[in-house]
Amino acid sequence: MSSPSKRREMDLMKLMMSDYKVDMINDGMHEFFVHFHGPKDSIYQGGVWKVRVELTEAYPYKSPSIGFTNKIYHPNVDEMSGSVCLDVINQTWSPMFDLVNIFEVFLPQLLLYPNPSDPLNGEAASLMMRDKNAYENKVKEYCERYAKPEDISPEEEEEESDEELSDAEGYDSGDEAIMGHADP
Amino acid sequence: MLPSKRPSDAAAGDENGRGGDARGPGSGRRRARAAAGAVTAAPQEIDEDLHSRQLAVYGRETMRRLFASDVLVSGLNGLGAEIAKNLALAGVKSVTIHDVKTVKMWDLSGNFFLSEDDIGKNRAAACVAKLQELNNAVLISALTEELTTEHLSKFQAVVFTDIDLDKAYEFDDYCHNHQPPISFIKSEVCGLFGSVFCDFGPKFTVLDVDGEDPHTGIIASISNDNPALISCVDDERLEFQDGDLVVFSEVHGMTELNDGKPRKVKNARPFSFSIEEDTSNFGIYVKGGIVTQVKEPKVLCFKALRDAMTDPGEVLLSDFSKFERPPVLHLAFQALDKFKKDHGRCPAAGCEEDAHSFLKIAAAINEASADRKLDTIDEKLFRQFASGSRAVLNPMAAMFGGIVGQEVVKACSGKFHPLNQFFYFDSVESLPTYPLEPQDLKPSNNRYDAQVSVFGSKLQKKMEEANTFVVGSGALGCEFLKNLALMGVSCSSKGKLTITDDDIIEKSNLSRQFLFRDWNIGQAKSTVAATAASAINPSLHIDALQNRACPDTENVFHDTFWEGLDVVINALDNVNARMYMDMRCLYFQKPLLESGTLGAKCNIQMVIPHLTENYGASRDPPEKQAPMCTVHSFPHNIDHCLTWARSEFEGLLEKTPNEVNSFLSNPAQYAAAMRKAGDAQARELLERVSECLNKDRCSTFDDCISWARLKFEDYFSNRVKQLTFTFPEDAATSMGAPFWSAPKRFPRALQFSAADQSHLNFIMSASILRAESFGVAIPEWAKDTSKLADVVNKIAVPTFEPKQGVNIVTDEKASNLSSTSVDDVAVIEDLLAKLQEYAKMLLPGFQMKPIQFEKDDDTNFHMDLISGLANMRARNYSIPEVDKLKAKFIAGRIIPAIATSTAMATGLVCLELYKVIAGEHPVEDYRNTFANLALPLFSMAEPVPPKVMKHKETSWTVWDRWSVQGNLTLAELLQWFADKGLTAYSISCGTSLLYNNMFARHKDRLTKKVVDIAREVAKVDVPEYRRHLDIGVACEDEDENDVDIPLVSVYFR
Repeated sequence: MSSPSKRREMDLMKLMMSDYKVDMINDGMHEFFVHFHGPKDSIYQGGVWKVRVELTEAYPYKSPSIGFTNKIYHPNVDEMSGSVCLDVINQTWSPMFDLVNIFEVFLPQLLLYPNPSDPLNGEAASLMMRDKNAYENKVKEYCERYAKPEDISPEEEEEESDEELSDAEGYDSGDEAIMGHADP
Repeated sequence: MLPSKRPSDAAAGDENGRGGDARGPGSGRRRARAAAGAVTAAPQEIDEDLHSRQLAVYGRETMRRLFASDVLVSGLNGLGAEIAKNLALAGVKSVTIHDVKTVKMWDLSGNFFLSEDDIGKNRAAACVAKLQELNNAVLISALTEELTTEHLSKFQAVVFTDIDLDKAYEFDDYCHNHQPPISFIKSEVCGLFGSVFCDFGPKFTVLDVDGEDPHTGIIASISNDNPALISCVDDERLEFQDGDLVVFSEVHGMTELNDGKPRKVKNARPFSFSIEEDTSNFGIYVKGGIVTQVKEPKVLCFKALRDAMTDPGEVLLSDFSKFERPPVLHLAFQALDKFKKDHGRCPAAGCEEDAHSFLKIAAAINEASADRKLDTIDEKLFRQFASGSRAVLNPMAAMFGGIVGQEVVKACSGKFHPLNQFFYFDSVESLPTYPLEPQDLKPSNNRYDAQVSVFGSKLQKKMEEANTFVVGSGALGCEFLKNLALMGVSCSSKGKLTITDDDIIEKSNLSRQFLFRDWNIGQAKSTVAATAASAINPSLHIDALQNRACPDTENVFHDTFWEGLDVVINALDNVNARMYMDMRCLYFQKPLLESGTLGAKCNIQMVIPHLTENYGASRDPPEKQAPMCTVHSFPHNIDHCLTWARSEFEGLLEKTPNEVNSFLSNPAQYAAAMRKAGDAQARELLERVSECLNKDRCSTFDDCISWARLKFEDYFSNRVKQLTFTFPEDAATSMGAPFWSAPKRFPRALQFSAADQSHLNFIMSASILRAESFGVAIPEWAKDTSKLADVVNKIAVPTFEPKQGVNIVTDEKASNLSSTSVDDVAVIEDLLAKLQEYAKMLLPGFQMKPIQFEKDDDTNFHMDLISGLANMRARNYSIPEVDKLKAKFIAGRIIPAIATSTAMATGLVCLELYKVIAGEHPVEDYRNTFANLALPLFSMAEPVPPKVMKHKETSWTVWDRWSVQGNLTLAELLQWFADKGLTAYSISCGTSLLYNNMFARHKDRLTKKVVDIAREVAKVDVPEYRRHLDIGVACEDEDENDVDIPLVSVYFR
């Protein structure tokens, strides 16, 4: 593994090489936004979220902090704050993981297989357990309402977004062996 | 302070067979004393403010035992002084210091209590007053007559640092056979060699062998089998070991296991284990259950010194590269005793004649020792031993003072595993690499004579002229300053010691930051410590600063400052500051001596330019945090409840009042910011502000009580009712499994009762703090629970109906996305309009008073509220509650700390400092150490060399830097790399990205000068005196492999 100081740059690079759209804030590497599309063949398909990524001084030893900035209806995502309760991003994070793992594997897995047993959004979890159809409808309505491409276009004040080279596609990569489980 | 990079936990030496007799002599003795009424004074209350950090290590019970103990320390050389200091700080009942010798110039190298004015006085008498200053609660007295066995009978523990073997046999025999036995410790430091011997009597009970909390596990299943297999939930690894005893509770179904009987663990695995029990005919496991380790007392049978001398048994090892050393040192110390007996003095430094006769004595003793005879005697080592044997070096005294101090605590309290029985140590690697000439070791009648006799005057001069930077003036910092002053480091006009710390002295510091006194509370740590250190050695050339070491102070600690340094000593308490100092030392290529302690554990690491890896090269995993969902709704231990309590405290009393104030100070600007954010979080903040200014506004103390009562209802009843409505006890997941399965615990709502003291205490602390935040006067009766009860009982509490929000299938609103998804923007507008109205009803200039959590003030009600919140929540979930002290340790994240391990760590570091200042030592001479005085365990190892990287013909380590000459444009810089066969794909300065080849807009920067891009993007202004800019470059070679190149300096002017 490379020295920690380089990991931010390398990970960011790998993320962009995998065709993720990244919005930087004044070229700082501590905090940026990544556009994340709902996995194909899931009820979240068609939705797109701007996910805030914070890399602390201790990255990659400490996990990045991940939060949805536009609303998503999901048992393991806090509706207010957008915080994600996922073991691989919190408790079982390893410096071997990187940002590509998060966006290619962990988050898609979380959206495909929510874990209502350890809910952060109790209402969503309860609904999912009691009435799958109503739950799925609500997920889709949320996508419809809050997760359109226009919902995540950067605000005017934010300077220079990096439009080029990155139109997201190919989220169906299932070849990675690392699976995420919602936090216990 | 984490002792980072703990080597794989070496297990405690579990040498003796265990015995179940809890009535060992230790506890018997205490009982006897109490019964006889020997303790006349009323049991003293522990000053928990003073001792909070130490209480976190020992607990109240151990502290009480310490408070009842009388200890003798005989021999007030440097070692005796260190031991006495550690015991006074720990807080025993009395310390009697004994000596018949008078103070000589020679003693000043090790004993920090003494000054030149004391020369000629009795050593013990000269120390009494200064020792007493350390802790007024401890009775300190001096004994200056010849010691006899009669003197010993009044003590629980006696320590000798300067005693011949014959006398030691006599005293130990007496102590060993005394009823109850008296714990006997003999310790010596002779130059770079040291020894400890402990005899705590024929039958000594250890109550807690390692000081660790009992391990626990949450059960997922139990088999009906022989042996029974227990599986636990997989959110936390089990830490049971084979042979541990465990008890079960809360098991449903197989209730036979809840009988409280300890059962033995076997086949311990990360998430399961077996027990020696046939459960075939037990009930069938249904659910639930907690398994808890039972810690058993252990009885040790110590041998008397006389017997142990000829049969030392297993000697504790500290350094695996010196596997054969303990028996050698066992012989050397015996030979020294014989030499002293024959000559009436120690061998003289560098004296060939004395060395010869010492070797002869050693050979004779070796010949006489039958089955332990050494094949050969390492002549060089024995000569080194003899030559330095008279010197009590400060670093050795500090290290052994820590070890022996801890052994005394063990003897008095039964806490932690005693040393069983010999320990030998040497640090010959600390000697300079060049040969020492006898004339170089000669005394010149000054305070460094002892140190010069070991290291020579050349190194002494170098130490005095060293330019040293000590970062931090807390527990480690105080010890370091004392050590450096005694060693004479930076003690000439050519040398300088800079110490910096931005903290001020608090009461809880005084139990181990021993340069501080009561009257210094509130003063700057670094200044007070510097003054105290100058009193120890007036030649110390010290500069005390109050700057935190961080990027903001690089104007104070600038390039010139750094370039002049010889060595940096960290005395820090957090990893971030350590990382920063590491980065700076790496940059300026300065040796960094790093240490840290955690309770009885300590860790020291040497970072030497080009020889070792840097501090940041390896790291401990970050502390595990409880998952959010667990803290929010599914706590299963008290830590989760306390984490929740702290976050509620902050939200209610700090964040919301701050938010209210920022609205009131500038409503227009505040509204604009909220509109701009326009999200759910903004909406929630506004809702809180709105509540505070309207519905929940408090103008009288009765309002505050009402608020507290309704908060109680909300937290501990309504929320639980809502949660159990959403997830009823029998709820099942889509897979049909029960929702409420381990580790989740099903909560039950509390019914408020003014008759319940803990309920009332919650109301009291919550209403008092609420009143404080609203500036409402707090009446006298606020602390009168009966009056409070009267008021509380009159408060009308609305009945709670769980929200039907989730049963929306039949609900008409469901299809329109009801309450939760109404447009945030509209709600925000509405709230902002309401806020304007509420603000008009306030007194002009009204502001709330945000309350910041302060753990160390027992009268401020902060910890009362936090422990109240946490314990009521624990009650909801049937989690065992904790007392306020324990709550304070967890919620206040109090780092357990004791003087002994701190002193030892600094001693070990200073042994390395000799090597650093002398220079030219190979990496094999340096040592990193992890130690745990509780076990005890010492693990020393050579530092790891830095990783070598290669590209084509060039190789480098993290200590190297690449220099690029000229004021290059970005394109020219990229070409510079291309010429080396490297593709630079990303270039950064600090945390700002200067260039990334994926960003098209960065292509515009290619023609700009690199330094200009840094100015523009990273806002970096290179100071006038600096000619270069440092950048980080991520590169690939021709095969697209990442190449981890060093920092690049662009010399642009």
